Amino acid sequence: MKPEPHAWQALQDHAARQLRGGFADRVLRSAHGPTAESWQQLFALGAVQLRIGFAERVLRAARNVPGVPSFLDQFVLSAGTAAVCALAVFLIQSHNTEIENEQNLASWQQIAMVAQDVDGGL
Amino acid sequence: MESTAANALADLVRRAQKGDEAAQRELIVSYQHRVAGFVYAMTGRSDYVEDLSQQVFIKMIRALDRLQAPAQFESWLFRLARNTCIDQLRRQKLRRIFLPFGEEHENIPEPAGAVDTEELDALRHALAQLRPQDRALLALVQEGRSHAEIGEILSTSVAAVKARLHRAREHLREHYQPHHET
Repeated sequence: MKPEPHAWQALQDHAARQLRGGFADRVLRSAHGPTAESWQQLFALGAVQLRIGFAERVLRAARNVPGVPSFLDQFVLSAGTAAVCALAVFLIQSHNTEIENEQNLASWQQIAMVAQDVDGGL
Repeated sequence: MESTAANALADLVRRAQKGDEAAQRELIVSYQHRVAGFVYAMTGRSDYVEDLSQQVFIKMIRALDRLQAPAQFESWLFRLARNTCIDQLRRQKLRRIFLPFGEEHENIPEPAGAVDTEELDALRHALAQLRPQDRALLALVQEGRSHAEIGEILSTSVAAVKARLHRAREHLREHYQPHHET
């Protein structure tokens, strides 16, 4: 069995071997946070993602994007939709009323005929 | 010197507002790299950069006539960029809820060589851990926006910007571990 100081030394050596190279730099970087250069690199990396002719593509796309409807356009569309709906309701309602009237008239005619028959019998 | 540049920019914006396509093109060319960098910092995805930057500039062209103060063009443009990115990240989150795809389908790894340094990789990793609002805050500062401008962009006070920025920086530092092991 090794004497105790040896054991301590072995422990320390083992622990030291767990640290990868550049440990101090990494600690300092973590403590200070990202540097201005890292941010610059990040932004530069984003900038190189744009393909050549970007501005032309944007201008072409902007020309082809349909225009945003104005308030007046939206109002006219809403009023038109409301008018069509109201007309449809009116037509359906009058059609239903007409059918109902015809049915009522037929019923009354039937009642009147029955009443006439009863009167004739008396 | 600075005011000359500011005047030239305001002039360019005014011309673009009147529909001068050459001026619009000049604005896009002048800001495309900065907007692309901002979009990349916000999303961490190379494949989003072109599409989102294009969306930002299309919005810019369509809404330019509503910009009242041409001198505030830069703040206004970066507000558009921030909102476009946050909308995209929100849509992506919703898609993840409703579509039966795993996260691995959304987070396609960057192609080899795209991320070439340990610090950059660590920064991207740390940013990905933050809320999009905090990411936007830090990216806006890096973009050179002042606290007052950021306050205007976020519709909040300078004091609130400072407090949120402090918290965001703390969070970033917590997650910033070069050579992180996940």
